[in-house]
Amino acid sequence: MSAASSSQSPPAIASISDVSALFQNAKKYEELNVIGTGAYGTVYKARDLHNGGQIVAMKKVKVALTEDGIPLSTLREIALLRQLEAYRHENIVRLLDVCHSGQSVERDHQLVLFLVFEHVEQDLESYLKRAPGPLSENRIRSMSYDILSGIDFLHSHRIVHRDLKPHNLLVTSNGRVKLADFGLAKTYDTDMKLTSVVVTLWYRPPEVLLGVSYNTAVDVWSCGCVLAQLHTRKPLLPGSSDSDQLHCIFRLIGRPPRSEWPENISIVADSFPDYQPQDLGEVIPRIHPHALDMIKGMLVFDPAKRLTAWDCLKHPYFTDEPL
Amino acid sequence: MPYWYYDKKDLQNTPSFRDGISNETENRYRKEGARFIIDTGSKMDLGYNTVATGVVYFHRFYMFHSFRTFPRYITACCCLFLAGKVEETPKKCKDIIKVAKSLLTEQKFASFGEDPKEEVMTLERILLQTIKFDLQVEHPYGYLLKYAKCLKGDKAKLQKMVQMAWTFVNDSLCTTLCLQWEPEVIAVALMFLAGKLSKFEVVDWNGRVPKHNAWWDMFVEDITMELLEDICHQVLDLYSPQPQSSGADSPPLNTPKTPKNEKKPPSVTPPASVSPVAPIPSKPAITPIKNGADVKVEPPKMEPIRYQSYPAYPGIPPPYPPVYSAPPPSIPPPPRLAITGPPPMVYSEPPPGPPARFPPVNVPPPNYFPPLPGRGPPPPGPPPRPYYPPP
Ligand SMILES: Nc1ncnc2c1ncn2[C@@H]1O[C@H](COP(=O)(O)OP(=O)(O)O)[C@@H](O)[C@H]1O
Ligand SMILES: [Mg+2]
Repeated sequence: MSAASSSQSPPAIASISDVSALFQNAKKYEELNVIGTGAYGTVYKARDLHNGGQIVAMKKVKVALTEDGIPLSTLREIALLRQLEAYRHENIVRLLDVCHSGQSVERDHQLVLFLVFEHVEQDLESYLKRAPGPLSENRIRSMSYDILSGIDFLHSHRIVHRDLKPHNLLVTSNGRVKLADFGLAKTYDTDMKLTSVVVTLWYRPPEVLLGVSYNTAVDVWSCGCVLAQLHTRKPLLPGSSDSDQLHCIFRLIGRPPRSEWPENISIVADSFPDYQPQDLGEVIPRIHPHALDMIKGMLVFDPAKRLTAWDCLKHPYFTDEPL
Repeated sequence: MPYWYYDKKDLQNTPSFRDGISNETENRYRKEGARFIIDTGSKMDLGYNTVATGVVYFHRFYMFHSFRTFPRYITACCCLFLAGKVEETPKKCKDIIKVAKSLLTEQKFASFGEDPKEEVMTLERILLQTIKFDLQVEHPYGYLLKYAKCLKGDKAKLQKMVQMAWTFVNDSLCTTLCLQWEPEVIAVALMFLAGKLSKFEVVDWNGRVPKHNAWWDMFVEDITMELLEDICHQVLDLYSPQPQSSGADSPPLNTPKTPKNEKKPPSVTPPASVSPVAPIPSKPAITPIKNGADVKVEPPKMEPIRYQSYPAYPGIPPPYPPVYSAPPPSIPPPPRLAITGPPPMVYSEPPPGPPARFPPVNVPPPNYFPPLPGRGPPPPGPPPRPYYPPP
């Protein structure tokens, strides 16, 4: 600390350097156990000591500090998450608090961010695994509507989730679904990724696999895969590599016509056999015809021709009387 | 979620006050800090949004910390630095420090310590923790322009009124109004003030319905005349000469006074005493010299005298730097860019209405009037859930 300031009045500015003293939050949450380890952070179950011991989910994310402190992209993303939270959308997991670690990791120019979320019983992955048998028609419809409402909400705020999959969908004890794990794409991009963690490809749309630019339609594709999975409790397109994933996709929806193949990409359409479209109704037996029609509209190769989340919400699947 | 509005009692019993700094002194520090952010920002060509965001961070910060612990000018720099990033108009920390140095006396700059940049970096983390990462802040400017569009009447006069209101909004940053009222309310109040002073009486507006008594009823429900006047006076008080206390210029650290010396009973000088018609007799140097005629004609004299004497206020150099003084009523504020995934997002759904306000969390809520219209859970959103009940 500067001699100038410390020589004058006693405690004063000297305390700026004593950052940790200012972070009471160290004692604000008590970590209980790990509930999830992803490519970018660890999620703990924790107790909120300032709120009657309420159980929360605390996500730790490491942020690389730059020459000019906390990266702009991270600040923008958190600002947006905070702003979204004001809407309290019922299909978005509540973000209760954001704090950071103070200075402990300062030496290696990292800051640990804590994002504190409401704790939700389980994710959709484990929900589907534990389900004793097929989900009821109504349950599937209700969950589908929840997921699409959450997606539509994000899209109306120009947020693309980019990684919709059962692991990132949380299921409450009432069977309601909430979206999690979005909005930090740029923060994640800053080379903090754990390479050891395998990222699933099963919900990836063709435009991402082909490396062309993409937009909100990616989420509709992923959602289509998830909705199909609600019916069968099995992944729809379990590819084992980028290229195998494309094969899986084209085996289902057929190899797209040359007119729809993106320009200026290295992969040529001819590198795939001339797959003919399969009947999705055979892949998902006993599916409600409206549900089938909607999911078909979501699993369309050309992102521009795919339904939007809003289209889906207005689909007869949700608006017609049940059969 | 954090809640950032306080009542007057909270604004008097601040960490600085509890640390032995009088309310007057604290208000001066706040004013000087805000002014400094405005000046630094203007000098660096930062827009009004960024500057205002920085100032709001500054005011919020000192609801949790004392001016004695955190000297105001370095905090101010840090607030502007952070606001630059959040509003996507980033400036290099070292450049902000350079400008700050050029604007401050050597003595004041000494509070930045030996390694100013490192200090600001450290302070950034303290600031973020203090404002709880609640980074997105709304300002009255946008509302001002939006409301003005609805008003009917002489174009030139309207323009002049908006211009004046814009200046008041700039100046309101030097008060704690952003800790008391939502930007919508401040916008209404300062347009009301500007209307009075520029003699632009709003008699008709688009969207008028019989139950509206005044144009602002269309935007903010149940706003009382008393409240409008209270807000106006808080801004007008900036222009009245202030008694310069001894040691006025020293930052808290350097004041020889001990906390005890400075401690006073909560000095209650809320502008509440001010009534619309009567100029305040108690305030010292109101000099009705300049434009007596103006003063007398207007029925609800909103203290035009003070407005006339405004250039005299020592703390505010009146000819603002261009960025600040020229309200661009025709130019909408720069669009806030939302974060998107890669390249341009095409999403045609109109964005929903304004978000609901946070409910009180950290602070007891001030005595509020009922919610603003258009707050509540925002957009009509998706249709109500269909026929099946949640399982
Ligand atoms: N709010 C929560 N409540 C309960 N479990 C959660 C919550 N958030 C995340 N999880 C669990 O932790 C896992 C990882 O969290 P996520 O936010 O997806 O992080 P990552 O970026 O590492 O994938 C999730 O798949 C889920 O099982
Ligand atoms: Mg995840």
